[in-house]
Amino acid sequence: MEFQFDWPVFFETIPMLMRGLKFTIIITLGGLGAGFLLGAFFGLMKLARHAIPRTLAIIYIEAIRGTPMLVQAMFLYYGLPMALGLRIPPLTAGIIIIAVNSGAYIAEIVRGSVQSIDPGQAEAGRSIGLTRGKTMLYIIWPQAFKRMIPPLGNQFIISLKDTSLLMVIGVGELLRTGQEIVAVSYKAFEVYLAVAVVYLVMTLSIARGLRILENHLEMKTKR
Amino acid sequence: MEMIKIINLHKSYDQLEVIKGIDLEIKSGEVVCIIGPSGSGKSTVLRCINRLETPTSGHIIVDGKDIMAPETDINHVRTEAGMVFQQFNLFPHMTVLDNVTLGPIKVRNMGKTDAEELGHSLLKKVGLADKAKNYPEQLSGGQKQRVAIARSLSLKPKVILFDEPTSALDPELVGEVLEVMKQLAAEGMTMVVVTHEMGFARDVADRVIFIDQGIIQEDNCPEQFFSSPKNKRLQDFLGKVAEH
Repeated sequence: MEFQFDWPVFFETIPMLMRGLKFTIIITLGGLGAGFLLGAFFGLMKLARHAIPRTLAIIYIEAIRGTPMLVQAMFLYYGLPMALGLRIPPLTAGIIIIAVNSGAYIAEIVRGSVQSIDPGQAEAGRSIGLTRGKTMLYIIWPQAFKRMIPPLGNQFIISLKDTSLLMVIGVGELLRTGQEIVAVSYKAFEVYLAVAVVYLVMTLSIARGLRILENHLEMKTKR
Repeated sequence: MEMIKIINLHKSYDQLEVIKGIDLEIKSGEVVCIIGPSGSGKSTVLRCINRLETPTSGHIIVDGKDIMAPETDINHVRTEAGMVFQQFNLFPHMTVLDNVTLGPIKVRNMGKTDAEELGHSLLKKVGLADKAKNYPEQLSGGQKQRVAIARSLSLKPKVILFDEPTSALDPELVGEVLEVMKQLAAEGMTMVVVTHEMGFARDVADRVIFIDQGIIQEDNCPEQFFSSPKNKRLQDFLGKVAEH
């Protein structure tokens, strides 16, 4: 039997994927929002003067970056309940995994951006009597944040794609929805292509949005 | 009255001792210029005064407060001792006015209106009243340094520490910065200036200090300092400078 691309199935699949897309978006935004807070927290902790917070940050970052996200997901969803005796709903588990995972990478982005700011800026801040905290808040962070945007955008795209791994814990996200459609229609080629196209449209939109944001911020200081 | 008193200051980086015992007193209203070859430790001494560098040993007393004492609030000392940097270190993400009002608002808790009024008056003082809404990168080096001076004045310090304020400037822009500094000196501001500007030291300073190899080699009034230096190293140094 010769393979024939089934256009109607391809086009019918896309609207059917929207249910899964909704979860993909919720998990990505929720996970990255929390991941940014985690990343900012641990990134700054890694720059702390004292060894204890620094060490804690290093342990978190290395443990997460050094293990596959798929393993982290299985551990959190299937492993932890055995020890704690409570089951986390798949959607919540998905958001936690994306948050904890992206947080480790974002922590390194935050640390690198903060360290890239000229030490003279901190000296100038301290020289007018600002505390360390206020120097960070008003002088270092705003400048560092601008430098974080390109790598954060990159992480945004990576985390969006990583949500597809969450199908293994039963989150009804985009890929799993596609898989369910294939189970009924047997049109794997058309359906998975449609899934890929939906991911691509999102990642390209994010990349474009970030370029616009960067240009906007560039304009703001140049005027 | 002494504004700054430095007693037996030492500073080492790992094994390298850059300041090897400096004693210095600077009176209120005095303008003291510090000169010396690069690597002599003159900037380090200045940066120890507001504890941007932590002294290895010794005491520094600024306006009656020992900056090394645990009970001293170093942030308060820094509002009393402003600093102007070689590389200006303006905040590039803020307007010129915001650069000048940040300290009053965030350190002194001054209201925005009052702070801006103060900011405008300080910018006027350094001749940049029309640049308030500009960003630092739109200014020339000389203008940037004048904004930095206005910023250091914004907390009404009792002394200003200048760390080679004209060394990063194009030659034609040096004059405008020195003019502002002369004006401050004339108003009675206490100033400690690390500089290579011999003309400024000769005309404006009350005392000139020569630091080399981590110690004060000569401390004298400008006339004596330049016309009849006693120290051999200073004689060599002035000889080399004069050749250019």
